[in-house]
Amino acid sequence: MNKEIFSYIDSKPSMVNKTGSLHGKSISIQPNMSVRGWPTEAGSRALERFAALEDATVVENLRTAGVTIKGSTHMSELGFGLIGDTAAQAVATGEVDVALVTDSMGEARIAASSKNLFGFKPSFGIISRYGLIGLIPSMECYGIVANTPLEITIVLEAIAGTDDRDYSMPEEVIPDFGRLEDIKTLGTCGVVAECVDMLEPSQSKAFSAALSRLDENGMAIQEVSLKDFDLFRVAHNVIGSVEASSSCGKYDSVRYGHRAQSARNWNEMYIKSRAESFGLLVKTYLFQGAYYQFEDYGTFENACRIRAQLVREMEALYETIDVLILPTRRKNDTIYDTHSIDDVYDVFDLTLPANMTGQPAIHIPGSFFGRETDPGLQFMAPRLGDMRLLSVADHLMKVREGDI
Amino acid sequence: MDYEAVIGLEIHTQLNSETKMFCSCPNRPGDEPNRNTCPICLWMPGTIPKFSDQVLEKATLAAMALNCEIQKHNAFDQKVYYYPDLPKGFQLSQFHKPLAKNGWLEIMTEDGVPKKIGIRQVHMEEDVAKLIHETEGRTPISLVDFNRAGTPLIEIVSEPDIRSPYEAMEYIKALRTQIRYVGSADCSMEQGTMRVDANISIRPKGSDQFNTKVEVKNMNSIHNVGDAIAYEINRQMGRLSAGESIVLHTRLWDPEKSITAPMRGKFEGPCIPDPSVPQIVISDEWLENIRSQLPEMPGRKVERFVREYGLPHDEGVLMSMEKDLSEYFEAVVQEGISPRTAVHWIASQLMPAMRERNQTLSNTPVSSDRLTELIAMLERDEINAKSAKDVMLKLFETDERPDVIVKKYGFKQVSDMNELEVLVDTILSANPDAVDDFKNGVAKAMGFLIGQAMQASQGKANPKLIRDILMTKLG
Repeated sequence: MNKEIFSYIDSKPSMVNKTGSLHGKSISIQPNMSVRGWPTEAGSRALERFAALEDATVVENLRTAGVTIKGSTHMSELGFGLIGDTAAQAVATGEVDVALVTDSMGEARIAASSKNLFGFKPSFGIISRYGLIGLIPSMECYGIVANTPLEITIVLEAIAGTDDRDYSMPEEVIPDFGRLEDIKTLGTCGVVAECVDMLEPSQSKAFSAALSRLDENGMAIQEVSLKDFDLFRVAHNVIGSVEASSSCGKYDSVRYGHRAQSARNWNEMYIKSRAESFGLLVKTYLFQGAYYQFEDYGTFENACRIRAQLVREMEALYETIDVLILPTRRKNDTIYDTHSIDDVYDVFDLTLPANMTGQPAIHIPGSFFGRETDPGLQFMAPRLGDMRLLSVADHLMKVREGDI
Repeated sequence: MDYEAVIGLEIHTQLNSETKMFCSCPNRPGDEPNRNTCPICLWMPGTIPKFSDQVLEKATLAAMALNCEIQKHNAFDQKVYYYPDLPKGFQLSQFHKPLAKNGWLEIMTEDGVPKKIGIRQVHMEEDVAKLIHETEGRTPISLVDFNRAGTPLIEIVSEPDIRSPYEAMEYIKALRTQIRYVGSADCSMEQGTMRVDANISIRPKGSDQFNTKVEVKNMNSIHNVGDAIAYEINRQMGRLSAGESIVLHTRLWDPEKSITAPMRGKFEGPCIPDPSVPQIVISDEWLENIRSQLPEMPGRKVERFVREYGLPHDEGVLMSMEKDLSEYFEAVVQEGISPRTAVHWIASQLMPAMRERNQTLSNTPVSSDRLTELIAMLERDEINAKSAKDVMLKLFETDERPDVIVKKYGFKQVSDMNELEVLVDTILSANPDAVDDFKNGVAKAMGFLIGQAMQASQGKANPKLIRDILMTKLG
């Protein structure tokens, strides 16, 4: 198996449950998802030599479902951006059927869009995060990349559900996942005008063409406005960096992780080790978060208020429409090549609203309409509307293949 | 100029829940180091804290005992700081939305006047790990014990209503009594389950402004708190009269030298809402359920003891300050022992004997029914007071019933008149001088003769009957 794709390959796969819903399928995880005894370094020297002490709940659930967990792909440092990420490649090259991707800004959708795959971000709080070594707890979840919505659906069914180890999951009845609806009508779809305005003319043209195809296939397209759309990016940047700064406070190089030599006392050891552990991009993000924490707390509070306001505005939109449609991305060549925080946010500024609001979102590959370079189609639905999205995606795939 | 002190206390107390605050590890910090740990309280990557319902109940009961308003929505924040006792980089605490606000406690001032001390807020927070500094050869090393990491604390912040060291000590005692009563915490400064920090400033008497305060830490008894505050008030007055100003800082109490000394500047980190512990939403129903668990609190109990049992006020207070003691007292009284006799035996005999043996009511073998039986035998004249005391000491040594002890060790009182008359005759003929003294009007000679008779009977004679016989024979 390919070492360019996998950071760790399970040489002795454990016995799989042959009666599970995922028996015969293979999946890749990332090295920040805990499997007892596996190297779990999350792409960072800060976790050098760290091996997970116990299985993540998701890993337990995958094993119950009978899937073969082939190994861990490569990931960017602590999952910030997609530099060096090989999850979508693992699916595209046929190494695995499905890849799990840590999704805190839209990583699953963007990675999928780079390889003509489906990328799905589930509703926040329906999959246990226990065992996920995260960076931005309030935004992140397990994203799923696969060739078909059906595969995403059966994986979602296997891993979603309440977990008494994850107290952060809302107390609510999680709908029955796993059954795709037979779509009779595609319903009303809201197109966010402000997003379309962000596209280059050529991208805009491709996006319009895609909307026409949807229209021809019976989806009522309606333009909606989210005038504060640009605030998603700003607020995510502030809140995300503050949470990241807190999350990374535990990397002190005492019990695991890279430890600097030649420190004279513990304080110096912390400082030198952390300086040597984090890469420049993550370090910049952590510094920014610490700045808001220590020096400009008011801005953080404002960002939280703006986030709450944006959630309300988004929810109000769904009063008149069934799903939202947005382009997935407007940058094509820099997805895996980001050098600054701005670069990263340029890649994800159309996908991060779903992470900010906890809503589900799916990327439907651009090749659907025969254009490799178009901005892709991204559908969003209200929280817990996951099956609606997957059903729409499944329906559109059947349309493409001439099944309908 | 006349100055007055303005004092506010911040009290941390460790809740006595079964488990830690965010995992199922036992809440026993004193066990062998690092025994009570798991990935969650070792703060390992990938873990998610799971807030304990029992901690919420204990904290809420404590806040109710302090007359606080429970906040229906409260939440945890991350208090960020970096130190080896907190390898997570932040402590889960409640800053923006505390559990409870606006409470009070009533104390008696030095002048015997009742006074209410306001309580600004009560909030929950996790304790950090414990550092142990040792040397390996000549190298100093620091060890980290995670048994304490994640154990539950509440912090009780008073209003700056306290005006003297005495009031501060009374406030701490009242607070301890209330919290122990609801069974939420042990509140022992000596054992380290209660820590008191004092914020002290002074101002001209009658002024209502707040001046720069100094925080004093590291007191390990209630008396220490009083001494440290008194020292700090004097120090500040000395400063002001020397024309110097007070600077905001933290000082440590040195119990050996009885002084406070400045400590290194403390780093105050920010507090951001924790994204992983969901906001706590308290329903009316839940709150009513907790309220129904509140026991009769000492303030009410004193009144009832005075009213129902006819105790003097101070005895009522004595019998109600600790919940288990009040229950012990009532158990004895309910078996028909007179309340005053019960108070006498518990306070003057049982308690000192328990203290000598380092026992408490929870682990003493002298249960209320054994003590009751003993007092009942005394009241039935089956044993005399002297023997009763001896029997009580035996109760500590064996688990036999008092009547068995009395028989086995021959404590039974001798009340047989013939036997006693023979005894008295022996005493009279052996002590002719005392007999003469008595006949010449020396009253205390009677006491001497009774004492001789008691001694001869090895303390078992009925002293009342001895006296009667002596009076008849010498009459």
